Amino acid sequence: MASQVREWAGINTFAPATQTKLLELLGKLKQENVNTLTILVMGKGGVGKSSTVNSITGERVVTISPFQSEGPRPVMVSRSRAGFTLNIIDTPGLIEGGYINDLALDIIKRFLLNKTIDVLLYVDRLDAYRVDNLDKLVAKAITDTFGKRIWDKAVIALSHAQFSPPDGLPYDEFFSKRSEALLKVIRSGARLKKDEASAIPVVLVENSGRCNKNENDEKVLPDGTAWIPKLVGTITQVTLNGSESIHVDQKLIEGPNPNQTGKLWIPLIFALQYLLVIKPIRGFIKKDVANESRPSWETHESD
Amino acid sequence: MSSSFPASQHWSATLSAPRPRPRPNSPRPSLKCHISASRDSDSSNHALFKTLSKTLAFSSAAALLLNSSPFPLLLSNGSGNFGGCSGNGLGGGGSGGGGGGGWFGGDGNGGFFSRLFSPADAIADESPSQEWDSHGLPANIVVQLNKLSGFKKYKISEILFFDRRKWKTVGTEDSFFEMVSLRPGATYTKAQLQKELETLATCGMFEKVDMEGKTNPDGTIGVTISFTESTWQSADRFRCINVGLMQQSKPIEMDADMTDKEKLEYFRSQEEDYMRRIQRARVCLLPMPVHMEIMQMLKEQGKVSARLLQKIRDRVQKWYQDEGYACAQVVNFGNLNTKEVVCEVVEGDITQLVIQFQDKLGHVVEGNTDVAVVERELPKQLRPGYIFNIEAGKQALRNINSLALFSNIEVNPRPDEKNEGGIIVEIKLKELEQKTAEVSTEWSIVPGRGGRPTLASLQPGGTVTFEHRNLQGLNRSLIGSVTTSNFFNPQDDLAFKLEYVHPYLDGVYNPSNRTLRVSCFNSRKLSPVFTGGPGVDEVPPIWVDRAGVKANITENFTRQSKFTYGLVMEEITTRDESSHICANGQRVLPSGGISSDGPPTTLSGTGIDRMAFLQANITRDNTKFVNGAIVGDRNVFQVDQGLGIGSNFPFFNRHQLTVTRFIQLMSVEEGAGKAPPPVLVLHSHYGGCVGDLPSYDAFTLGGPYSVRGYNMGELGAARNILELAAELRIPIKGTHVYAFAEHGNDLGSSKNVKGNPTEVYRRMGHGSSYGVGLKLGLVRAEYAVDHNSGTGALFFRFGERF
Repeated sequence: MASQVREWAGINTFAPATQTKLLELLGKLKQENVNTLTILVMGKGGVGKSSTVNSITGERVVTISPFQSEGPRPVMVSRSRAGFTLNIIDTPGLIEGGYINDLALDIIKRFLLNKTIDVLLYVDRLDAYRVDNLDKLVAKAITDTFGKRIWDKAVIALSHAQFSPPDGLPYDEFFSKRSEALLKVIRSGARLKKDEASAIPVVLVENSGRCNKNENDEKVLPDGTAWIPKLVGTITQVTLNGSESIHVDQKLIEGPNPNQTGKLWIPLIFALQYLLVIKPIRGFIKKDVANESRPSWETHESD
Repeated sequence: MSSSFPASQHWSATLSAPRPRPRPNSPRPSLKCHISASRDSDSSNHALFKTLSKTLAFSSAAALLLNSSPFPLLLSNGSGNFGGCSGNGLGGGGSGGGGGGGWFGGDGNGGFFSRLFSPADAIADESPSQEWDSHGLPANIVVQLNKLSGFKKYKISEILFFDRRKWKTVGTEDSFFEMVSLRPGATYTKAQLQKELETLATCGMFEKVDMEGKTNPDGTIGVTISFTESTWQSADRFRCINVGLMQQSKPIEMDADMTDKEKLEYFRSQEEDYMRRIQRARVCLLPMPVHMEIMQMLKEQGKVSARLLQKIRDRVQKWYQDEGYACAQVVNFGNLNTKEVVCEVVEGDITQLVIQFQDKLGHVVEGNTDVAVVERELPKQLRPGYIFNIEAGKQALRNINSLALFSNIEVNPRPDEKNEGGIIVEIKLKELEQKTAEVSTEWSIVPGRGGRPTLASLQPGGTVTFEHRNLQGLNRSLIGSVTTSNFFNPQDDLAFKLEYVHPYLDGVYNPSNRTLRVSCFNSRKLSPVFTGGPGVDEVPPIWVDRAGVKANITENFTRQSKFTYGLVMEEITTRDESSHICANGQRVLPSGGISSDGPPTTLSGTGIDRMAFLQANITRDNTKFVNGAIVGDRNVFQVDQGLGIGSNFPFFNRHQLTVTRFIQLMSVEEGAGKAPPPVLVLHSHYGGCVGDLPSYDAFTLGGPYSVRGYNMGELGAARNILELAAELRIPIKGTHVYAFAEHGNDLGSSKNVKGNPTEVYRRMGHGSSYGVGLKLGLVRAEYAVDHNSGTGALFFRFGERF
């Protein structure tokens, strides 16, 4: 596989300042003996997952299909640079017709078999005003698939960051409100504790080509920060945050086998059923027989 | 099948045999009541007919045969009465003769009267000629009976009763009127009239009775019977004794030449005889309240009169009739002129029980059936030593009928000639053919190529059934059937069943009632697990074929409560629409394509599972019908215990408990035609499984027997489920309307079914519904609102939900 990994050429398309920062971060990872980084990008359809992947790699590696659901298959983009391999797995949207597309989820699961996820990049839009049940379902589906621990490795990316909040709401305030609401819904969907959820970092992303740039030709957010280095920085941080990466194996995909749960107890259950259900019912029947109202001819005793 | 239960017509002859022995000069006159059997047997027959026709309505019978009597002679004159004390039709009429026509051979109307006045009828039959002779006397003169000509047939225009004590004519409603068998408009000879007078005089009801005629201008005569009612000293005690099976006392004829001393001696000995008789007699079944009631009658009356005794007799007999002691007869009142009235009753003691088998022609044959098989179905009240009760007879009839071994069953009480007042219960049985085989065929035309039927598309189908019943006379049976829609290609849809039933596992004399059943079976069902939720387009169906062997033992505690336990070995094959074995459910992709990677259908993952498990089911059911409404409790617990034998070593414990209560909300009077009470039905069903759970064994939610208002399985398929339901039934015009609310929940266990079919097919996993309905015979019409979507729909369902 390694032989097929292409050189990360796209990094050269970034502004030099960005390049420097990225290489710095990669160096930091290498220092920590991390030679591969696998990022799983997930989220609802049409939130900008594929665009984000393209933005990070600096190449047009994934086709973007803004008006329809993405191809049903996940795509892994692998790029290496100076002995460091970056894998980004772009996945199809998880929502289909108001429901979790379990087919897509299933394909993703199988695609990820025997891979290790270092970072989950959960993508949603910044310019959405409210959260709904679908967000919760997505969070739940992710948790059900990979377990709760995946959220220790999660980064939330809010796309379409170059956006003016309505009613003159300060940008920072809108951002914090939006991320708070999203974290809350993820928390409830993934059944996380409060501090676990609030530990998830939220970063902003702007994939549009019309993204503002600073004097160093870096793509910047409305608040002036260059977002690509910041995103990669956060990813690096999460990678190195000490939590285990998620290795996807057969067991994780299939989940705990419900057919095995409680199997040991069956003999005891069977015995209890006999003692606590069947026997009492027999007792009731005996009582019924004794209490049965008999016609008078049956009760008249003959001499 | 026709079953008959002839009641007491013929034996009444014997029962009324204790002929009146009037003891006119006795200091203790006893009144022999010759209760005509006609009324009693008649009414009981009649009632019996009604009830029987009801109880036996289920039998496939064409007609309910009642062999009225083994004495065709008696039958022929349409009378159930035989002389007696001139067979005074004492028991008042009113048993409603209509409808029973044809019963006694005569037509309904005539039969009714002929039974009321049966002896008259008998006499009339002796002179069937319609012609009559004019009296040949001047009109409007009174003639004594002995003045009439012995050669003429007189036509009686009217009959008048004249009570000398009250000095007035009594109407036809008077109880004495029933005692006379003459009928206005009929013709009689002098001898017949004299006989009538004699029987009236000897029956003990009258101190004195005379008959005289009054000539009419048209040649007929009017008859006036003038009488003085017998009366005795007042009494304040009442005793009822059973004199059945006792020798009738035979009074020594009193010699007219006896001296006073001898007479005294005679009376004393008679008195002593009677005391001994009373002492030997057994206690009656007549309960205390009726005793008290009669004592009250005695007290109110003062003097004991013949009419009072009639009333007492009617009361006593009514009790016996009401209780079903159809053979009971008041035969005598003794001990009159003392403080205590003794009512002698022949209750109808059973002396013998005979079970007979008959061939098709009615000849007695040695049956194939073991007599013990029949005997164990008989209530003990039909055994010798008990009093014959018609209800016990009916119970026996029902029980024997439920054996399904006989084409005709008769339970027949017959007088015991050797034991006076005794009853022999005869059970006559016609056995059904032991071996039957049946082939039914049908041709079906299936569309051939291009949709047009061709010669090759004509398919012969049908069912072959064979039955071997009553093996070894012990009601064991072997039943097999094979059904296919195409005999040329039977492997396509061959349905078969072979069952061996072995009752009386612990021996036919052992009271415990355990039945062994061994069966081979197969079945094909559409799996409700692979059903889409609301808004999901058609989910490709999965067929679940099961074939296997089952052996179980059923222990019957009551008619409805039982315990079954046994072993099941089966092979389960899951197939798709085109009958190909499939290992996974299919799903429709958003693109419209179909992918076959849905939830696994079997445990083994191959589409074919084999497994062996223990199955136990205990049912407690004490429900009963209160005027047609079901009331009571029903609890069912079933457990399937996997043994780890089979594909992938399936080890599981699958259990379900159903608790249903039918609560009567109002107490009502029970009886035919009375309104049923409103009933509240509470129902809950829990199902759960620990261990290996293939999808075909998952519990599904939704459907007419789960949560109404949804399709089968529309709510989900889960490892554990809970269903709750309540239904209120209000009776209305012979049927009932009901309102219900139901809820089904997967208890979050849908995900514990492999492949999570609930989620894959986008089902909620839980849901409620409510609605109203109307019961129309077997069909329920109901409007149910699906609470998940909030929409309602009208459903028609067969059978009961609970």
